[in-house]
Amino acid sequence: MIIMNTTKMEYIKSNLESKKLLRTELLFTPMLILVPSLVSIFLINDWYVRGFMQGNAAFDGELMLGIIIFIGNMLFDIPFLRFLVKKRRVTE
Amino acid sequence: MKRVMAPISSTKKKLQSLDFDAHWYRRVFHAFGSSFVVYYMLPDTIEWIAFLKMWVPISVLTLAFFLEIARVQGVISGSHFFGLRMYEQKRVGSYLFFASGIVILLYFFPQQIAVPCILCACLADPIMGEARYRFGKKEAYAIGFLVCLLFFVVTWYKADLWVMMVAAFIGSIGAVLGESVNAWWLDDDFMIQLTPALLLLMFLIGVEAMGVTALPEPIIYPSLLPW
Repeated sequence: MIIMNTTKMEYIKSNLESKKLLRTELLFTPMLILVPSLVSIFLINDWYVRGFMQGNAAFDGELMLGIIIFIGNMLFDIPFLRFLVKKRRVTE
Repeated sequence: MKRVMAPISSTKKKLQSLDFDAHWYRRVFHAFGSSFVVYYMLPDTIEWIAFLKMWVPISVLTLAFFLEIARVQGVISGSHFFGLRMYEQKRVGSYLFFASGIVILLYFFPQQIAVPCILCACLADPIMGEARYRFGKKEAYAIGFLVCLLFFVVTWYKADLWVMMVAAFIGSIGAVLGESVNAWWLDDDFMIQLTPALLLLMFLIGVEAMGVTALPEPIIYPSLLPW
C-alpha cells in the first residue's frame, strides 16, 4: 500500500463531504476509462483501414501511438478500478 | 467499548481508501489527458469541426481558470474538488497547469513536438510518480527518461536517424528537467510539457538555420470521417 508520508503530498480530506466527493469520482470513472480506450481504438482502426489495408506505411505511427495510449491508460485504470471495487465492498 | 470502536474503525477504513483512491484518481486523470491527441485526427476541412477545434479547448481552459480562482478565493468550497493536494489549498490546482500546457502545445507547436510532450505529461509523469514511491528519486528519473525517449522516438521515427536521436535525447532531458521543477507557483505538470517543447523548438530553429529540414512528417493524419 502506498503511504503519502509528506505533508505536501497529502490530499485534502473532508469527513462531511467525502460521500459527495466519492460520487463525483464514480461519475467521472466511465469517461476517464472509456475515452482513452476509444481514442486508441480510433487510431488503430485508422492505421488498419488507411495504412495496413492499402499497404501505406505512413500510418504506422498511428498504430504505435494507439498502442501506447491503450497500454499507458490500462496501467493506471486497472489498479484504480480494483480499488474502487474494493472500496465499495468496504463501504457496503 | 465495541460500540465506540466499530464506527471509528469503519470511518478510518473509509478514509484510508479515500486517500488511496485520490492517488489513483489523479493518476487516471493524468493518463486520460493522452486522449487529447485526437485533436489531430479531426479534419480542419469541415467548418464546424474547425470551429470546435478552435474554441472548445480555450473555453474549457477559461472555465477551469475561473473555477480555480473562485476556489482559491473561497467563493466555491474546496471540498467540491476531488483529489486536491494540501499544497493546492491556497494555489490553483495542478490540473489547470496541466490543461494550460496541453492547450499551448495544441495551438502553438507543431504536432511532432506537441504529441510527445503531451504523452510525457500524461503517461511519463504518473509513471515517474509511481517509480519514485517504489524505487526512489534517481531511479524514477532514469525510468522517466527512458519512457520519454520512447515517446520521442515513436513520434520522430520518420525523421533522419541522427535528427531522431538528437531530438529524442533533447526532448527526454527536457521532460525530466521539467518534472524536477519544485516551485509552488509553477507546476511540474506544466513544465514537463513546455520545457521539452521549447528545447525542441530551439533545436529545430538551429538546424533549419543551417539549411537542414529536420521536422519529420506528422504521425497522425486527419481522419476521413463518414459524415
